[in-house]
Amino acid sequence: MPTATAHRTGTEITPDTPCVHCGLPVGRYPVGDGPYFCCTGCRVVFQALHTAGFDETFYRLRDLAPAHTAIRPAQTAVDDLKLFELDTDAFLENQTQPVGDGIRSVELFLDGVHCAACVWLVERLPYEVAGVLEARLDLPRARLTLHFDPERAKLTEVARWLAQFGYVAHPSRQQGMTRRTEAERRLLIRLGICWMLAANVMLFAFALYAGLDTTNDASLATAARWASLALATVAVVYGGSEFFRRSWASMKLAVRVRNFRSLHIDTPISLGLLAGFGHSAWATISGRGDVWFDSITVLIAALLTARWLQLRSRRLAGDATERLLSLLPSMTRRVRADDSLEITRLEDVQPRDLIEVPAGEVFPVDGVIESGNSTVNNAVLTGESRPVAVAPGMTVEAGATNLSAPLRVRVQAAGAETRVGKLLAWIRSQKTQQAPVVLLADQLSGYFVLGVLVLASITAVVWLSLAPSEALPHVVALLVISCPCALGMATPLAMAVASGRAARASIFIKSDEATQQLTAVDTVVLDKTGTLTEGRMTLLDYDGDDDAIDLAAALETHSNHPIATALVQARVACGLDGKTPDLPQVEAFEAIAGEGLRGWVNECDVAVGRPAWITELTGPLPPAFEEKLAGYAGQGHTPVAVAVDGRCAAVLAFGDRLRDASKTVIEALQASGKEVYLLSGDHDAVVQAVAETLGLPSAQAFGNVSPEQKRTFVTTLRHSQQRTVAMIGDGVNDAAALQEADVGVAVQGGSTPSLVAADVFLTREGLTPVATLLTGTKRVMRVIRRNLGFSLAYNILGAGAAMLGLITPLAAAVAMPLSSLVVVISSIIQRPFASSTNPPDAL
Amino acid sequence: MNVLYFLVPLAVLLATVGVAAFMWAVRNGQFDDVETPAIRMLLDDEEEGVRKPDNAMK
Repeated sequence: MPTATAHRTGTEITPDTPCVHCGLPVGRYPVGDGPYFCCTGCRVVFQALHTAGFDETFYRLRDLAPAHTAIRPAQTAVDDLKLFELDTDAFLENQTQPVGDGIRSVELFLDGVHCAACVWLVERLPYEVAGVLEARLDLPRARLTLHFDPERAKLTEVARWLAQFGYVAHPSRQQGMTRRTEAERRLLIRLGICWMLAANVMLFAFALYAGLDTTNDASLATAARWASLALATVAVVYGGSEFFRRSWASMKLAVRVRNFRSLHIDTPISLGLLAGFGHSAWATISGRGDVWFDSITVLIAALLTARWLQLRSRRLAGDATERLLSLLPSMTRRVRADDSLEITRLEDVQPRDLIEVPAGEVFPVDGVIESGNSTVNNAVLTGESRPVAVAPGMTVEAGATNLSAPLRVRVQAAGAETRVGKLLAWIRSQKTQQAPVVLLADQLSGYFVLGVLVLASITAVVWLSLAPSEALPHVVALLVISCPCALGMATPLAMAVASGRAARASIFIKSDEATQQLTAVDTVVLDKTGTLTEGRMTLLDYDGDDDAIDLAAALETHSNHPIATALVQARVACGLDGKTPDLPQVEAFEAIAGEGLRGWVNECDVAVGRPAWITELTGPLPPAFEEKLAGYAGQGHTPVAVAVDGRCAAVLAFGDRLRDASKTVIEALQASGKEVYLLSGDHDAVVQAVAETLGLPSAQAFGNVSPEQKRTFVTTLRHSQQRTVAMIGDGVNDAAALQEADVGVAVQGGSTPSLVAADVFLTREGLTPVATLLTGTKRVMRVIRRNLGFSLAYNILGAGAAMLGLITPLAAAVAMPLSSLVVVISSIIQRPFASSTNPPDAL
Repeated sequence: MNVLYFLVPLAVLLATVGVAAFMWAVRNGQFDDVETPAIRMLLDDEEEGVRKPDNAMK
């Protein structure tokens, strides 16, 4: 990462110059003219740090340690509704815990933390906000634990203090996370105890394998066997209960539905454990026969370890899902009978209530517009990138965004009754119906234990008839060398390490099944809006007078319309405050609904709007402009014209720009032999234009596709054409298809239903992570096959050699941990998701 | 060899103490986040004269 100081006074500025605050390229329109920034958010944070005197330490620490998670430009927007919730009594009651002396503790998600400097800054909270006693940041999980005195400190104060440095705080929905942490801790303790028992049983076992038996020291040998029995009993009862409980439940189910396929993977493991333990226990009590308590206890500990690793590696995905769920609005503005507004919890909103939704906010309910005229962005619901004008009497749906003016909406359905809510419910029910995936290795190691018992009896019988004195050591060697812990750990360990690595590359994989399925994918279905494109209006092309465009941009700073925002962004940068001194002064302006804006800027009469409206004002446009406008319309762009003093001075084209990486990723997908389809709810002309740019045949690109059609399309591909389909999308309209596909991948900025439906989701923008994901999972599967191959070969060769009497019990006992070690090392050294765009990280 | 009758239970006892310490650490949340503490080491101690938190946490 470049140092902060090196670029602070840079004279030459290129689009690749790193932003002084976040280090990302500043692009073609940098903000500021001393230090350069990529956006006003970064500039605001930089200035806030400077004013507070934190800048020196902050940037020093940032350059000292590598970033932990993918970097994003700073966001300083504060959502007042969300903040309001933090100070309600209900929040204090439900989401905070007392820790004594009237002090309470709360957990918040923090967006935008990624390095050592962030830890330092956030943990300064107790010094900066009165009433905060301690702040602890868990960086990988972006979780802030605060101890505060509710009498003296308001959580909104804390959130505002954090927001000025670009960290957005969200209340975490505690229950889910606490439950996960608790489960993880319980398993970890179980794990520690089981390893301790296993280690001590191994001690006895080493003595027994080394030659201690009833013939040379009867009392010591008997004592060692009884001690092992005592320790192993604890391990089996306490550690093994996990496996017994689940396999017993699955056996009952199997008997009830008369289908043996519902037997759980834990069943063979349990059988193997019980058989091995029963036999050893009987041998100890009767004083005859062999004990293999060590194999049993080590197997329990190893399987628990694998399970814990899986749990821990998935918690990142779980946390991230929860963080996204916490972004949903939970409060809303209800209009009282006396026309005043009250902020209320969304659960309390009933049909027939009247609520107000200001410009820029997401509709929390389905309803009919009561008063107000505005434009609404339905992209999340339909995939259509162009905003729609709405008027009283028209319906709006939860999930759409109100763009330009406040609206009052009569509630028709809230919560689970909305279209989005129903979709979410459907997806959740689908999730639970999915058959549990049987992991090959778990099953193998279970049957393996049973198989080894059979082999052991055969060995005993054969050697007893050949050479009775050698039978015992050979059987013991066989039992030791065929301990399947390497086999049991091979898959889960590799998967766990891989999902941890993936999370660092901003890829969250929810299940191991998805990793496996991704390698088999031969068809990729893509959504357009937000996936291939940026999902918002951008200035794509223009022709005419530059000064006129500056005048237009100045005028447009007074509008919330997406086209206005796009123009201002293109001219200034991503303006959050909007009023930048670089633009000419606006003296007067008026908005003409559905047409455009007109006003006085710099003593000129400026009008910006639909070309037809400009034509009305100025008379026929110059032919060159007419030609351009026709071209824009043909490509599916939205054309806009600018008139200055009654003369058309410029024409502009707005549209949803393709992401930079889209074309290369699609070419790479096609090169690797995958079929790529493009499905979108947007107009067919726009979709075909995009397909042409991307080099996709028009027969594989479809516009005007409804969510239901998307799902049917995926079903047809899967069942009629026997294809393995990966669906990549972001909107609510993609959710059903994401669920239906073999693997659903939700991309950055996706809506909640799509995130719930997806098996994988990406928190870095664009399609680049998709390419990383596909190559990465291939590498993971290669590591798993390597692990499985190695441990199977080791066990089979070892078992064969032991049966033939080629290995002594002691050699077998040494080889057993070595084989596990090989599997562990092979899993840990893998770097499947490393690519040139990620800085190499040390784990 | 008789010393083993004493030493082996002692080893088990020591291991039990270790496990008890481990259980305390897990319940105390020491293993919940194993990455941020590695970063926290880079941070300087607060200088003299800087306002301290009102009261330290228990």
